[in-house]
Amino acid sequence: MLQIQNLHAGYGKVEVLHGISVEVPQGKVVTLIGSNGAGKTTTMRSVSGMIRPMSGNITLNGKNITGLASNKITRAGLAHSPEGRRVFSTLSVTDNLLLGAFPRLTFGRERGDVQGDLKRVFDLFPRLKEREAQLAGTLSGGEQQMLAMGRALMLNPDVLLLDEPSMGLAPLLVKEVFRIIRELKARGITMLLVEQFAAAALDVADYGYVLENGRISVHGPAEQLKNDPAVKAAYLGAAH
Amino acid sequence: MEIFAQLILSGIALGMIYGLIAFGYQLTFATSGTLNFGQGEALMLGAMVGLTLVGHMNYWLMIPLVLVFGALQGVLVERLGVLPALKTKSEFGWIMTTISLAIIFKNVAENVWGHDDVTFPSPLPTAPLQFFGLRVLPMEILVVAGALAVMLAVEIFNRKSIYGKAVVATSNDRDAAGLMGINTGMVITFSYALSSMTAAFAGVLVAPLTLTGATMGAVLGLKAFAVAIIGGLNSGMGVIVGGLILGIAETTTGYYISTGYKDVPGLLLLLLVLAIKPAGMFGKSVIKKV
Amino acid sequence: MSAAKIISAILAIVLAALLPTIWPNPYYIHLMVVIGIYAILLLGLDIVVGYVGEVSLGHAALFGIGAYTVGVLNWQFGAHFLLTIPASIAVTALFGAILALPALRVNGPYLAMVTLAFGTIIQILINEMTFVTNGPLGLKIRKPVFFDYHVTGTDYYYIVLVALVATLFVVQRILKSHLGRAFEALHDSPIASDCMGVSVYGYKVYAFVLSAAIAGLAGGLFTYSEEYISPNTYNFELTILFLLAVIMGGRKTRSGSVLGAIIIVMLPNVLSDIELFRKIATGIAVVTVAYSVYALATRQRTLKQVALPVLATIALAVSGYMMDNITDHRLTIFGAMILFVVYYLPNGLMGFLRSIVQKYRPQWIHRHEVILEHGDKHHVWSVPDHPVTARGHLLEARNITMQFGGLKALNEVNLDIAKGSVHGLIGPNGSGKSTMMNVLTGIYKPAAGEIEFNRKHITGATPSSIAGEGIARTFQNVQLFGEMTAIENVLVGLHHTFKHSLIDVVFHTPRCKKEKNAAYLRAASLLQFVGLADLANEEARNLPYGKQRLLEIARALALNPSLLLLDEPAAGLTAPDIKELMAMINKVRGHGITVILIEHHMDVVMSICDKVTVLDFGQKIAEGTPAQVQSDEKVIEAYLGGSAAA
Repeated sequence: MLQIQNLHAGYGKVEVLHGISVEVPQGKVVTLIGSNGAGKTTTMRSVSGMIRPMSGNITLNGKNITGLASNKITRAGLAHSPEGRRVFSTLSVTDNLLLGAFPRLTFGRERGDVQGDLKRVFDLFPRLKEREAQLAGTLSGGEQQMLAMGRALMLNPDVLLLDEPSMGLAPLLVKEVFRIIRELKARGITMLLVEQFAAAALDVADYGYVLENGRISVHGPAEQLKNDPAVKAAYLGAAH
Repeated sequence: MEIFAQLILSGIALGMIYGLIAFGYQLTFATSGTLNFGQGEALMLGAMVGLTLVGHMNYWLMIPLVLVFGALQGVLVERLGVLPALKTKSEFGWIMTTISLAIIFKNVAENVWGHDDVTFPSPLPTAPLQFFGLRVLPMEILVVAGALAVMLAVEIFNRKSIYGKAVVATSNDRDAAGLMGINTGMVITFSYALSSMTAAFAGVLVAPLTLTGATMGAVLGLKAFAVAIIGGLNSGMGVIVGGLILGIAETTTGYYISTGYKDVPGLLLLLLVLAIKPAGMFGKSVIKKV
Repeated sequence: MSAAKIISAILAIVLAALLPTIWPNPYYIHLMVVIGIYAILLLGLDIVVGYVGEVSLGHAALFGIGAYTVGVLNWQFGAHFLLTIPASIAVTALFGAILALPALRVNGPYLAMVTLAFGTIIQILINEMTFVTNGPLGLKIRKPVFFDYHVTGTDYYYIVLVALVATLFVVQRILKSHLGRAFEALHDSPIASDCMGVSVYGYKVYAFVLSAAIAGLAGGLFTYSEEYISPNTYNFELTILFLLAVIMGGRKTRSGSVLGAIIIVMLPNVLSDIELFRKIATGIAVVTVAYSVYALATRQRTLKQVALPVLATIALAVSGYMMDNITDHRLTIFGAMILFVVYYLPNGLMGFLRSIVQKYRPQWIHRHEVILEHGDKHHVWSVPDHPVTARGHLLEARNITMQFGGLKALNEVNLDIAKGSVHGLIGPNGSGKSTMMNVLTGIYKPAAGEIEFNRKHITGATPSSIAGEGIARTFQNVQLFGEMTAIENVLVGLHHTFKHSLIDVVFHTPRCKKEKNAAYLRAASLLQFVGLADLANEEARNLPYGKQRLLEIARALALNPSLLLLDEPAAGLTAPDIKELMAMINKVRGHGITVILIEHHMDVVMSICDKVTVLDFGQKIAEGTPAQVQSDEKVIEAYLGGSAAA
């Protein structure tokens, strides 16, 4: 579904990713784990067009999307719930969700049942339903995270990118977020999940890639990675 | 006392014009973080084009044509001046290009319409109406109503339509708006079109009350910037209040001191507000993340 | 300055001195006087526009203030040239300070509007305050008289030439001193300037005052040259013309200012002659088309790239034949020229010439002063300006709380840093490490809590004063002064060692020379310490990422800190580089400097830190030796998520 080949990317002259390749098959959940500064978010940003890759190839559904503007990539069917949530703080919860369906409401993507999807998102996140008229800026961190995820779902995406959905959340909410990811997986949504919480991410994912200093150091089925000592070392350094 | 009340009343109409131009500054600043230094010239062009058209048609028919002209002028400014500078992230660039486009517009207007100020025929009776002993020009009422109508229309568009929400989303977070499939470049172009359109409309509203000429824009644009700063570049109510403060300050200064000094209070207020509270009296100050 | 430059400068001055004999026409002599006066003003304007990087739309007004100071003193009191000129410099400098006050709070477009408002107010005041200025009628002044000798037009030319050369000399010396470096630094990175003890506010005001004083000199000279002044001269059009001159001639060059002055004075003359204009416009169009065809043929440019300039120049030429009066269109032409310069000649004509020469004779071009000082091991270290008097803990932060909107980025965090230790600060993304750095260095004011450093309360102090107390830092997203060379970057860090004044700078007093030599030696030694000796004269922005990080360390050490904050120093370094970095940090500690280290390379943290503090959600979750922290359940959970979600 989503293929990343030999991706080099960074900011200005600084290269952060030194050629990584990741594959996300239809209906599967793939996770990208690694410590701070390893290049996880840079990968996500290159895929969704927030930054222009230096070189490499990214295809979505067989269509080459490398270097396209992010609005075009979104219309091609890729939704990205970005790091830091980035909800539209002066708009209401409902408006934020409707903007997630912007291509469906305007042009470029099949309209389908937007109102029905809105209801389904509210079913998935009852907390958002309670706050539907509230401005997104007044939500708590956890609610904003749910809003960001719900907003991305409103696209009816072919692939969903979740960047650090657990970042800055209290443990109870982290649990809730992972419950929802599991729920989405059960619905057959293809996902690329970036996480710092490696154990939890590997629990939900089918396949995992470990990113270290801009390179893939280890990859394999999630079950297998869980017990790989290299994964722990990538975070906390080898024991002394 | 009666004179003072009369001055306040005249100040209101003037203030609403300032508020309307200042509103135009807010529109582009919200979506792109840029300002058109030629906002006053956009107003002047609107008034001049309106003046030409009014020779061939009714005032009310002329307005939609002027609006279209204003929008096109805004697009031109954005494409020629702002877009290239935004691409290179050069603040110096867009400040200089919008200034230079402004002087080009002014010069072209001088060559097309001449150097002299002319009167703009009023579409409404010029005899003042009497309210409790105070005199109000029908045109002044139209100015206040027109300015409020434009702001209200934009507000409704932003709140009710999905495209309006896309504009708000772009002002909130341009990158995130792009992720929603919103073409943020188009939104910025649109905001320039809307901004210049507002200015052109302000031009045909204010023209029957003042003299119309190629030089009318510069000081109006500067004072409207003062209003935008006093009110805060991100506060909708702020520009109305700021406009009224300035309008009234100006008519009273003109009466009690000298008309020669009438522009001074606004500019001084601009300097003071920027020196003391740059976020404006109604704007929220934000902590800049490093 | 190189010998070649000095010789060409002397030649230019001699040529300028001979011009009145070659070209005795009074009209031309007057034009040259005006060029000289404008050049003086532009030298000052370039300090603000080129070095500090702010758009000033108020310089025509400053010019007017200078002119009117002379005019009014002469008209009201009959004051003499020798009195009026210094007075116009002083008065205009004062107005420059007033103009700079809002600059304390704002920059960019706001400041541009402030200067525009200032200019408009001044014009109104000159017009309206008839009792002082004689209002719109203007003032008449005669050329100065020295001992009953009436100065002639040609004599006056020499007076202006002397003033121009003197201004060139002074401005050149200032801009090549630590003051000039401070101006450039605050433009390149205001935050880093403040953290290097170079107060952004202070130096912005300094630059405005200097620039205004020079504008005052120019204005005063202008009054005697024109012998008549009226308020309408100092309008928006003149301001635009000045800006055009600075950016067209080339920012940050003295020759550019002179060239710009020549262009804007000659331009109206060219434009008044329609025939001449047609020839020039046709010439430009022919050259542009020829070059574009060549560029297209050799595939250096695409059709899209050349289309706009080709069309524009052809339109210019055609319009020349359609118009019968060009003067009416001069503002359009100025505007078009600014557009052209902004898009196609961002470095102005001098920058363009320089890039051509650079291509063929790179050894002729030095954008920066080349500093060939050799460093040594002895001059790397120096005693802090404020020696450490604290015992035990060098820094104590109590209950620090920092809030962004509803989010508590730091929640009652305590931090004790033992004197002489390397203290690690780690935690997942968004845990508040960088926020803590910014609080400690004064960039953020904490909502609550107190910081005591070296037995002094520094809570709420400005970044530059905290830097002065001896806290130096590097930045997570590198904040170098990109357009300055590596060694110049370090010299900005050494700004605190320059104690001499403006007078010392202008006259190169022994004190100035001594401090300068000491600083050069020290800077070279610091570069050697971080392994960048070979790259000393390379522009910082051209260095590889890893080297940029090392340069930041050298710059921070230049402050003689007693506490050094390193924010992810190993990011972007290769494995051998990281080893060297660790050795470097150990040496820093060896010289008694306490270090706080934020780092994601856990190997680095674990092997050199004496103590590690772990933050999560803005709270301290663990503290201890590296081994203790590494095996702490809470830490493992914070990093790996543990089984929290399972």
